[in-house]
Amino acid sequence: MGFRAAWALVLLLPGGLIHGFPKPRGVEDKSLHNRELSAERPLNEQIAEAEADKIKNISPPENTPGETNYSFVDNLNLLKAITEKEKIEKEKQSIRSSPFDNKLNVEDVDSTKNRKPIDDYDSTKSGLDHKFQDDPDGLHQLDGTPLTADDIVHKIATRIYEENDRGVFDKIVSKLLNLGLITESQAHTLEDEVAEALQKLISKEANNYEEELNKSTSRTENQAGKTPGKVTLKATTQNGFTNRESDETISNTLTLANGLERRTKTYSEENFEELQYFPHFYALLKSIDSEKEAKEKETLITIMKTLIDFVKMMVKYGTISPEEGVAYLENLDETIALQTKNKLEKNATDNKSKLFPEKTEAYLEAIRKNIEWLKKHDKKGNKEDYDLSKMRDFINQQADAYVAKGILDKEEASAIKRIYSTL
Amino acid sequence: MAGPRGRALLALCAALAAGGWLLGVGAQEPGESAAGMRRRRRLQQEDGISFEYHRYPELREALVSVWLQCTAISRIYTVGRSFEGRELLVIELSDNPGVHEPGEPEFKYVGNMHGNEAVGRELLIFLAQYLCNEYQKGNETIVNLIHSTRIHIMPSLNPDGFEKAASQPGELKDWFVGRSNAQGIDLNRNFPDLDRIVYVNEKEGGPNNHLLKNLKKIVDQNAKLAPETKGVIHWIMDIPFVLSANLHGGDLVANYPYDETRSGSAHEYSSCPDDAIFQSLARSYSSYNPAMSDPSRPPCRKNDDDSSFVDGTTNGAAWYSVPGGMQDFNYLSSNCFEITVELSCEKFPPEETLKSYWEDNKNSLINYLEQIHRGVKGFVRDLQGNPIANATISVEGIDHDVISAKDGDYWRLLVPGNYKLTASAPGYLAITKKVAVPYSPAVGVDFELESFSERKEEEKEELMEWWKMMSETLNF
Repeated sequence: MGFRAAWALVLLLPGGLIHGFPKPRGVEDKSLHNRELSAERPLNEQIAEAEADKIKNISPPENTPGETNYSFVDNLNLLKAITEKEKIEKEKQSIRSSPFDNKLNVEDVDSTKNRKPIDDYDSTKSGLDHKFQDDPDGLHQLDGTPLTADDIVHKIATRIYEENDRGVFDKIVSKLLNLGLITESQAHTLEDEVAEALQKLISKEANNYEEELNKSTSRTENQAGKTPGKVTLKATTQNGFTNRESDETISNTLTLANGLERRTKTYSEENFEELQYFPHFYALLKSIDSEKEAKEKETLITIMKTLIDFVKMMVKYGTISPEEGVAYLENLDETIALQTKNKLEKNATDNKSKLFPEKTEAYLEAIRKNIEWLKKHDKKGNKEDYDLSKMRDFINQQADAYVAKGILDKEEASAIKRIYSTL
Repeated sequence: MAGPRGRALLALCAALAAGGWLLGVGAQEPGESAAGMRRRRRLQQEDGISFEYHRYPELREALVSVWLQCTAISRIYTVGRSFEGRELLVIELSDNPGVHEPGEPEFKYVGNMHGNEAVGRELLIFLAQYLCNEYQKGNETIVNLIHSTRIHIMPSLNPDGFEKAASQPGELKDWFVGRSNAQGIDLNRNFPDLDRIVYVNEKEGGPNNHLLKNLKKIVDQNAKLAPETKGVIHWIMDIPFVLSANLHGGDLVANYPYDETRSGSAHEYSSCPDDAIFQSLARSYSSYNPAMSDPSRPPCRKNDDDSSFVDGTTNGAAWYSVPGGMQDFNYLSSNCFEITVELSCEKFPPEETLKSYWEDNKNSLINYLEQIHRGVKGFVRDLQGNPIANATISVEGIDHDVISAKDGDYWRLLVPGNYKLTASAPGYLAITKKVAVPYSPAVGVDFELESFSERKEEEKEELMEWWKMMSETLNF
């Protein structure tokens, strides 16, 4: 019995030697196959190119101002409709204390700065206000001529000025960006132009006030640094209303200029925050894992852009009204989001269901061969009376047993049973 | 719907549909498209055999197709699950699937235990389909085989490793990626090293077979064993396998025990007691594979040392020492004689070569199967005809015994010659018989063993008889 105990002990000793064996290393792997959907790219590029052209053509007036201006203005119009809605909501919430104040980097906070210029301004003074009210879709000037790009920039600037809220600009630009109608660089350009226009506005208004004030106050106070076109901090030396006004508008412009940086930070990461009009779509995009399903995300964004383009065209040609376009898009948003969600959820089974008819075909063929052979080799010798019902029972039993053991999945088993039941 | 609004609606719907299509295209499997795979499958099909690599789902489907076509002679079962939960699928082919018929020997083929050695896996899938097809066509060899043998085919012992290997992009696969199981365990080094024990026993005295008897519990509690290894060990313990082959890749040779060198050196011919029959078995595979048995074949790689290769065969340890391998584990823990077949210089060759690998190996695979019907076989029973399980059958001159299975049936592979076979069991008187063994088929030799108590009774009766006779004669 001694040696048995000995070899039992030996068995419990740690295992044997590990040998490296003389095998050569393998060859390097090839790079991963690129899975980009090539169909998407041209569309993106097209939109970007088209918009680049439009923006480029804003400065010199075009031969055909109609085409490009229309689409640009159309977008603005659509967005206007959107922003109108937002505005109404905001009004209800009565958050009208200037958010603008938060952006003030200026040191001293005067309580009087809470007053909005709009309260003090006579709408007749700007003149542009008139246009907004009388021209709901903003497509035409008062005299009926179509808006030029310049006009648009001017309009935006005026709007900002009146609202005293650069957020207006932010919203408009982010929407344009998100919809892929302009690129980042175009947005920068637009910002510059709007800033310029705004400057002009401010200086113009400042000059108007200056003139008025000059009538009532001493000249010396206001002479320093009120050069039109050059709005600097020096101009904020004076007292009262002018200073306050200048301060605010100067800060406005400054923040506009600084806004370049801020905007790039804000919008690059949260591109779709402004897509409040497409809540479901936005939610879906957020739910998609950017790393794993980048392609899905890209595809979805492109689709959305394409469809928005489409709606714009319809609005442009007067087929539908802007409100209707917006309504269409709303419905679209819900439909697409739902569809995609379902598709993404069914990813695992999607492939299976594609291959399933193919698999069933193979199984069908195998079953056919089986029945054929069984009929030939039936031991009882009754060729016509081959007992299919017994076979069916056997198959049903086996199929279930196989499902339980993980050899068949449920769909396969039911398909097999189905095939046998039809024989 | 003719109005402008209607047109707009239609157009929008079209755009939506287009969007929907775009969405559908998104979710694809890496590498080939599903449609592309289907197309290729049809092109390379031959009688239901598709000469292409089968991933786990396709492997399963292929086996299911074989079963569906040959329900009378096949059955699918699983030996356990891989680390990542894939079933270790086996398809069994016999005239009475699921049942061990007394006297019917059991055979197994195991492939792809190194996940990146892919040819064996595919060959076994092709083999299963081929056996089914040929059986139904009435191919006599195949019909006889299936009627007289229980054939178990496990295309992949390492499905996790295979998935890893197959997932590599491009056709050139790494020499090591996917070799081990999902835990990083090399399954062919993971079996209990019974060689070591045997070598000790050889010096100090002790058994050299069935060393795993009563150690089932230790196996279950051994944390170092991979789930795949454990599954196979249980499989070997449960079914009285007689002959087996373990399919690999990376070279072209039929390798036989022992795999581990006695001295512990890197290369050394280490013969087992059944060296003669193993050489014959290895040859029975290699001789039908033209590439393997080609004497003027250059080695797979320029600097390879194939000096130990003879007629496409080699002693394992003479080639290089392998401890903890499945082949030797079979031989030392059970009745099963297993060889290791290296099928291809390239471990994971391009799919287009699979058909030619099948052509090269088809006959070898069948011929090797037929080797199971060699040597001596029979039953060990008691005088009443009841089977005696776990009886020992020893052969004079060969220091390795086999034991009878539950029905008292045994099979002893031997090269042609004259032998003395002894059957013994505890509590029984051993019986020795002389046998002349041809190349094939197996010679039938049954044993009826008399138990000690029976003999005692007999002797007692004899004594009584004698006493009676004496007393009558001498007038007690």
